[in-house]
Amino acid sequence: MLLNLQPTSSVSIQYHPFFGPHDDLVLLELDEKLLSDVLYQRVTLRGQPDEDAVLCTKSKTYSVKFVGTSNSVFLIPPADYSTSHESGGENYNQQVPTASVIKVAPGNMELVEVAPRLDKLKSILSENLYSSDEASTAMGDLYKWDDLINKVQASDDELKAGLQALSAVEIDGYWRIVDEKYMDVILRMLLHNSVLNDWSLDSLVEDKVVSVLESDGFPRKLVYHCLNVYGSRVEEAMDGGVWRLDARRVCVHFARGILREGKRKMESFMEEWLRMIPEEIQPSFDMLEGEVLTEKLGVETWVRALSVSSFPTTPADRFSILFKERAKWEWKDLEPYIRDLNVPGLSSEALLLKYTRRSQPSIDAEPVFSAR
Amino acid sequence: MQIQVKCSCGAEKCPEWAIIELQGVVEVQPSFQHSLQNLQIGLLCRPSSQENYTFTVGYHELTGYKVALKKPMVVLKKIKYMDVERQIDEATSSSSCVELDVVGFIRHKILFKTRPTTLISGPQPTVKEKINAEGA
Repeated sequence: MLLNLQPTSSVSIQYHPFFGPHDDLVLLELDEKLLSDVLYQRVTLRGQPDEDAVLCTKSKTYSVKFVGTSNSVFLIPPADYSTSHESGGENYNQQVPTASVIKVAPGNMELVEVAPRLDKLKSILSENLYSSDEASTAMGDLYKWDDLINKVQASDDELKAGLQALSAVEIDGYWRIVDEKYMDVILRMLLHNSVLNDWSLDSLVEDKVVSVLESDGFPRKLVYHCLNVYGSRVEEAMDGGVWRLDARRVCVHFARGILREGKRKMESFMEEWLRMIPEEIQPSFDMLEGEVLTEKLGVETWVRALSVSSFPTTPADRFSILFKERAKWEWKDLEPYIRDLNVPGLSSEALLLKYTRRSQPSIDAEPVFSAR
Repeated sequence: MQIQVKCSCGAEKCPEWAIIELQGVVEVQPSFQHSLQNLQIGLLCRPSSQENYTFTVGYHELTGYKVALKKPMVVLKKIKYMDVERQIDEATSSSSCVELDVVGFIRHKILFKTRPTTLISGPQPTVKEKINAEGA
């Protein structure tokens, strides 16, 4: 073996009988920890023909880059590497042992861990929102799990997390985002029935909620989805199937509904918002961080909707949009809009350094961030 | 589109490949350009029990050493095949499929990065960066 060349021995290095460019042979450099994933067939390459390929393990995504070299890298396969009986590779049967070079490699591929490319997931699922008149809606492109894997450059785990973040639901095998207006109808019906039947929003009994809303004409799947989106299961419940509504999620929902038509004066917004929120729930304005922006226009304070969930997930695009919305940001306003940014290897301080310019009008003023 | 990365030899049986790396380019004399197969490039020797090596190419001798790669590499082979079944099922725009097969891994290379020394004494043209390989 060339690699185990004994002291005081030599081996003749030759061109392999099948020496050639062999563009189909590629070297890929990887971290030690990825080696077993690759050898045990747990990785795939994902992407459309017009996209740069990414390599995915079960839970991570890596971009694949070619790095060239000006050195001569002679690639030597093991002795039996050959599609025919021709002798090639290494063999010790001849008088002088030989090792054969199959190819001179121009470089190798490298992997860089990246955030999953989930913006596409949102846009393709938004093509056909699931709404109340689903039956009559023309069926456009709908996506099953396997279709999403083919279209979205993310690992399985990251794709699942992405679907969860979008509050997507699987209906008849297809992953759907439900129209906000339809979710509003279902939620209001749930709250209305809670009042009627004296249900506590902290301990909603799944079976009761589902049967009542189903008899009101809502598909079972959607009722469960509503509970999932606006609440969480109460773990400690004895016989399972008990839910607690999440105050923040409910409050955000109503705030978005009010501001859907445009901005409102603070007093007007607060009055309507407090009126809509069920009695059992205690609202507080900071529940709305990352969802609304307040602006002082003259003497009036106005509120408008600006949801972090509507923004791109790539940092460059995110900061670009944020600075279009508002040229200068204080940290306390900016933070909720960048806290979800995920760039492997970059902390939030590093992100700020990279994408913003920090200035401080005076010693005791708050620092302000603007576009670079 | 998803391309599976396979290892058809099996993880445990995946063979180790080797790399010899030189700074510079090996040139083949013009008369041998088209019959490279089995042509000797040079002789690799390990003079002692240390991981030092010499590589003699033509009149030049290179000295180098075996080094562990800082990150391992795998050798991938792209396999294109026509999948007629899939063509009918999915009406994909391209009827060929690609798979990647791991055919080997690499953990070490024998690296030569010093200037070669010339073996023949006597007047020589200025030592070139490039080294020439002669036919065996």
